[in-house]
Amino acid sequence: MENQLLVRKIDHGTVIDHIPAWRAENVLKLLDLEKIRGMPDVSLVSLNNVLSKKYGRKDVIKLNHYHLEEGDADLVCLVFPMVSVNYIEDWEPTKYKPRVPERVLGRIRCPEVSCITNSPREPIVSTFSVLREFNALQCEYCDSLLDFSEMPNYVKTT
Amino acid sequence: MVNLSVNAFRNRDVVSVKDFSRDELDALFKTASDVEANPGDYRDVFPDKRVALLFSEPSTRTYGSFEASATNLGCKILSNRDPAATSFAKGETLHDTIRMIESYDTDCIVMRDKRWGSSRYAAEVTELPVISGGSGSREHPTQAMLDLYTILKRRGRLDNVKLAFVGDLRYGRTCSSLSYGLGKYDGVELVFVAPPILQVRREVEIHLQQVGVPYTKTSNLGEAIEDMDVLYVTRVQKERFPDPTDFERIRGSYVVDMELVRRGKPGLGVMHPLPRVDELSPEIDRTEHCWYFEQAANGIPIRTALLYLVLGD
Repeated sequence: MENQLLVRKIDHGTVIDHIPAWRAENVLKLLDLEKIRGMPDVSLVSLNNVLSKKYGRKDVIKLNHYHLEEGDADLVCLVFPMVSVNYIEDWEPTKYKPRVPERVLGRIRCPEVSCITNSPREPIVSTFSVLREFNALQCEYCDSLLDFSEMPNYVKTT
Repeated sequence: MVNLSVNAFRNRDVVSVKDFSRDELDALFKTASDVEANPGDYRDVFPDKRVALLFSEPSTRTYGSFEASATNLGCKILSNRDPAATSFAKGETLHDTIRMIESYDTDCIVMRDKRWGSSRYAAEVTELPVISGGSGSREHPTQAMLDLYTILKRRGRLDNVKLAFVGDLRYGRTCSSLSYGLGKYDGVELVFVAPPILQVRREVEIHLQQVGVPYTKTSNLGEAIEDMDVLYVTRVQKERFPDPTDFERIRGSYVVDMELVRRGKPGLGVMHPLPRVDELSPEIDRTEHCWYFEQAANGIPIRTALLYLVLGD
């Protein structure tokens, strides 16, 4: 009943489901919100701590009329492995199967302040190797590590 | 002159010792040995080559030994010896500096920059080979190469060495680089001896786990030394401790003197990248345990061999 009141279906867009409760804010940090804000037909709903059959409670993000890029979906699933991403077309969901990327380019800032990738004006793109077995990214320039759970705090804003 | 069937270093970047195989390192050591045995064979062999020494951080030993090595090979030197008077100080990007150096008929760039990962970046910007003279606090590949060479000369082999690092393992790049280098060899065991806030960095641990090198971490030097072949000493600096009293409390625990060395094996070798302050007692200098002066001197044959191979055919 609670979810029926709060969670309406969308006809076209993306649903990011099974986000750990109260963690939707971190998922939003991983999305390119500047780009989304610039799209007048897109609406975004973020639900916190709603009922979940699977996990008891969960967060959900619905993006109406927006197709989340698969690279961003992969990043979200890297940080939150239990998340599921569904693309909605004419009210019908299609589950996206995330891939664990080998590298992450450009979206994440190196946590090491002195890294060359954080130098202003250098024409350089941050580049990380994904160390899946250690739940961390590793900067390919300075070798610094960034735990997956910390990634939302190091997203570059466009 | 040494005869290598394949010169794997030709035109190669030297940014991390991780980028080289065991065989490639062995070829470097073979060449360095030949440089020592037959220095005349390497004198003035590259009169038409120019080596750029780009050091935006102070350096005496590394700069000096690269300058001497390049000069011995007959190379012309392009240098920014005073970083304050260079385009670095004017705020030019490293990218643009590298592109300018490229255009000055340069054949190789040796660089030290305080920004971490800058050598890797420079190697991407230019087709010229880039040799890192130590960038940021992460790695110092040629230091690791001369350290490995020192151990090889003294022990006859690098396999099965048991080595303990002592001191500032968190901010000292020699610990990480040498750990990566030793990880190429079989049967190596490492011990990291440091106060908890200066222990070895996680990415070094991850690398050792990935390559299957066993290691332990401890703060007790007296226990760690007993089974070691080599003790690699670095200085614990007061500035690394948020609370100075913590430093005063532990500083004596990481001083290496003869009383400590006698607790180790008879053939224990003591190494130190120098300069030292008070962490390494001079009473060791005239004993068979003193490897550090030879270690420093090995910078010339290793860097000469490296430049010879990188610039050669």
